[in-house]
Amino acid sequence: MQSTPPLKEFVFGGLSILVATGVAWLLQPFTAYQTVALLYLLLVVAVGLKLSRGPVLTVAATSVVFWNFFFVPPHYTFYIEKLHDGILFATFFVVALAMGHLTTRLRRSELAERQKERRTAALYELAHQAAFASDINLGLQAAVGLIDSIFSVRAALLLRRPDHTLSDKPHSSSSLVLSDKETSVAAWVFSRCTPAGKFTDTLPQSDAMHLPLRGRTSVMGVLSVAPPADRSFDLTDKDLLEAFAVLIGLILEKDHIVQAFKRAEIIEASEQLRRTLLESVSHELKTPLAAVQAGIEALSRQVGGEDLKQRTLAEVQLAVRRLHRVINNLLDMTRIESGVVQPRLDWCDVGELIQEAVDLSGEILGEHHIALHLDPALPMVKLDQALMEQCLCNLILNAASWSPPDTEITLDARLKENQLILSVQDEGQGIPETEIHRIFDTFYRGSKSKPGGTGLGLSIVDGFVRAHGGQVRAANRQPHGAEFVITIPVETLPANVMEELT
Amino acid sequence: MSDKLTALVIDDERQIRKLLRIILEEQNYRVLEAETGRQGLADVAQRKPDVVLLDLGLPDMDGLTALKRLREWSHVPALILSVREGPEDKVAALDAGADDYVTKPFESAELLARLRAIQRRGATTSEEPYFQTGHLAVDFNSHLVTMGGREVRLTATEYALLRVLALNAGKVVTHQHLLREVWGPNAADQSQYLRVYMNHLRKKIEIPQAKQKLLKTESGIGYRLALLEDKSP
Repeated sequence: MQSTPPLKEFVFGGLSILVATGVAWLLQPFTAYQTVALLYLLLVVAVGLKLSRGPVLTVAATSVVFWNFFFVPPHYTFYIEKLHDGILFATFFVVALAMGHLTTRLRRSELAERQKERRTAALYELAHQAAFASDINLGLQAAVGLIDSIFSVRAALLLRRPDHTLSDKPHSSSSLVLSDKETSVAAWVFSRCTPAGKFTDTLPQSDAMHLPLRGRTSVMGVLSVAPPADRSFDLTDKDLLEAFAVLIGLILEKDHIVQAFKRAEIIEASEQLRRTLLESVSHELKTPLAAVQAGIEALSRQVGGEDLKQRTLAEVQLAVRRLHRVINNLLDMTRIESGVVQPRLDWCDVGELIQEAVDLSGEILGEHHIALHLDPALPMVKLDQALMEQCLCNLILNAASWSPPDTEITLDARLKENQLILSVQDEGQGIPETEIHRIFDTFYRGSKSKPGGTGLGLSIVDGFVRAHGGQVRAANRQPHGAEFVITIPVETLPANVMEELT
Repeated sequence: MSDKLTALVIDDERQIRKLLRIILEEQNYRVLEAETGRQGLADVAQRKPDVVLLDLGLPDMDGLTALKRLREWSHVPALILSVREGPEDKVAALDAGADDYVTKPFESAELLARLRAIQRRGATTSEEPYFQTGHLAVDFNSHLVTMGGREVRLTATEYALLRVLALNAGKVVTHQHLLREVWGPNAADQSQYLRVYMNHLRKKIEIPQAKQKLLKTESGIGYRLALLEDKSP
């Protein structure tokens, strides 16, 4: 950074000699001329701490000459009369030069130390700001900002695209616009993984210096910096820039690996879901199909009596209904997941809704008793009756399959601050605490599930209730049993309108 | 041959046509088959079936389009037979002039009951003054409604509602249709009236413990007054 000392330093050196000589001249009547030599030595040391080597050595030589000329008798000549003055002169000369040399060396190493520290601080700053940024884009922005301020240059980052070619559009954090020519230099740097451009051996006539962003395994992009016209880079600058490039490369590579890892995790999860789906769906579709086939074959062989025939037919019918239910569940889930479920809100008599749901589930219910707790003052509410009916059916079916026969399933409907609350309670085993937060997940099936069921019924309830802007919750009851509560915001028919109608 | 009713099945699935033929011929129908909407419309014009069973997913045109074209010149009872189960599909088909709607897969008993219901209206162009289903009887002349012989007092609106359902007994009647018929053309979006009066009507004519209900809810579509054979309450 300081190959030629500025003229300023020489002028300062000269002035300090004049001042020191003046002071010594004034002191001369009170002291010996040998003491003046010590004064000059002090000056050389002081100057050595401030100025660079050239001016310091000049000051050392000049002060020896001045001492000889002004103070060593005979005065105002360069002539030295006595031998001890000659020895003193030679010693002074050597000591002054040595002092000048040593102090400047000391200063230079101190400067280097300070520079090293600055460099370490800059790298630390980069590592801290860029590597730990929550988002890679913010990190790169911090890196470019840091390069801008430390080197007072404009910088651009060209990143590797997913297909492993170099992007021709600088990253959004860049403060430098690259010409086509510079972009092509950058592309060359990317392909060769070696620096090029200004201040390098390759294409030095370019406007910018281009450094590859090297990761551990591959080049992640190119850092291009364009210094102002009067600015040049020395070795330290280049070193630091290269260190920056390496660090940015590593940061990019780290981000790339993290992203790849995340993607792999997602793929793994969806792969798992796909396997579950295939297993569950194929089981659920094939089981009733097998029952149908076996039933039909038995009937076609015409074995057994009328009683057996009726029983076989009943089984076939059951299997067909089950098949129908599975297919409907799959279709509903597909509708929910593709986001096409739009509730068709219309006035609904909640009593009618619940009665309908109970009637519809009647054929599956078997040996459970249904108890209805309906608030008689319940006003009419706006909802999609078909969707809600299905939610209730699914919950009733779920309750029936998790509680022993001859127990009660309770349906409860009430209104609380424009929220319709529908609950279905059973007297079964309840839900294990570890599973309670997962039971609405698609294809999730409880660890104690009976065979049959796709793990879709509750997810469909969740989907339809969400489509209404509401939520469904599951909880355990005391002493035993589970409760599912649907809460949806509803518009209600004002009481006076109801009275008018009745 | 002339005493047999003719049913035209318009469906591109061969298996469905075959099964419908078995079911219908067993019920003494003469069965015609058409694979496309175009052919189906031509068959209605030339062979004058007594009832049409129409699939909505046809290869050459949408079943709804075929139905609308058919309704431009024919009143033949039409039953939609489709895999589409959304209420909006059903309402659209009923609005376009379908007499009823059955989703696949269907139970043949259900299908035959619906067929009988839609032909009932087709056959009685001059309204019969008397209607009966299960324990319920309606005399349109005297506006007298009885349950197992005992008179039931209905308000004018309740009677009007029951009358529309009885005239279309066995068929689904959409909310819109009921609102228009009972409350007039401006009441189409006043569905709360319908819910309240259906609720009242239910309380008056339904027997709570009955195995089969008279008034059936078709959620998101409308209501149906069931045609029941059994007259004892």
